[in-house]
Amino acid sequence: MDALYNTHVKLLAFDFLKLTPSPTDPSSFFRRGKRLSRAETVGIVVTRDLKPGKFVKFTIDDGSGCISCVLWLNQLNSSYFSRRNPSDVRLIAQAATDFASDLQLGVLARVRGRITDYRGALQISVSDVVVERDPNMQILHWLDCMRSLVMLLARILDSDCSASCARICGVER
Amino acid sequence: MATSAVSFGALVTLEELVPSSSQFTQGASLRVTGKLQEYDIETAIASIVEGNASLKIDTQHLKVNLRIGSLYQFIGELLIDPSNQAILRARVGRNVDGMDLNLYHQSLQLLRDFQAEQMNSTTS
Repeated sequence: MDALYNTHVKLLAFDFLKLTPSPTDPSSFFRRGKRLSRAETVGIVVTRDLKPGKFVKFTIDDGSGCISCVLWLNQLNSSYFSRRNPSDVRLIAQAATDFASDLQLGVLARVRGRITDYRGALQISVSDVVVERDPNMQILHWLDCMRSLVMLLARILDSDCSASCARICGVER
Repeated sequence: MATSAVSFGALVTLEELVPSSSQFTQGASLRVTGKLQEYDIETAIASIVEGNASLKIDTQHLKVNLRIGSLYQFIGELLIDPSNQAILRARVGRNVDGMDLNLYHQSLQLLRDFQAEQMNSTTS
């Protein structure tokens, strides 16, 4: 079983943009041989394009790259949600609307969601957003991402890279 | 590799942003951090300092409350005039009072080393 498959894996943008789509499963992406479907990023909102009732597209800049994100706002009109309990759909729609209003240019945001491929471009289809008030959260995200990649490399037969990365990060293997 | 339409702001310290630096390039997208030392409300030009270095920031497109003495972070493009004076035309900016600057600098270097190692491992 792929332990990371249903986890929101913390990824640096430059790492996220290197994900390779699975040729057989559109919801799966590979990172150094590990199958992922969800990601978490922390960075500054640098673009925002709101289409009320439809979606808000925005970009997160985490200092290593930019990740495109889309937060859907069409739950009340979507056939995808038509079979679900209407009160649940209203809650989901309200949460999405609240997230959209939090996503203003220049804020530091923690964004989680499914990794998707839209016309050849990787993006996150957002499930939740938290605006981080503590400016040190960006730094913590960098460190978390580096540490998790070192741990991953330690499990892969790429001993030279994992050893040197572990040395850089001061992580014991 | 998928890319975004907007360039990310490369992390750089003000002390590194000298004419001999590779980051000191016309139009380079940068993310800079510093304490607000001066602000001209008429021109919307701010001046931030970090250590012994300073940089002017064009804030005319920002909706940020600027307070002298506070720490700010800006992402934008570097504009260099013929006399080699640089100003960052900011796209976004935020107050980062409370940021641990020692941790920031150490982590920034760690991140660079880490990315360089990743690049070396993929090309070798």
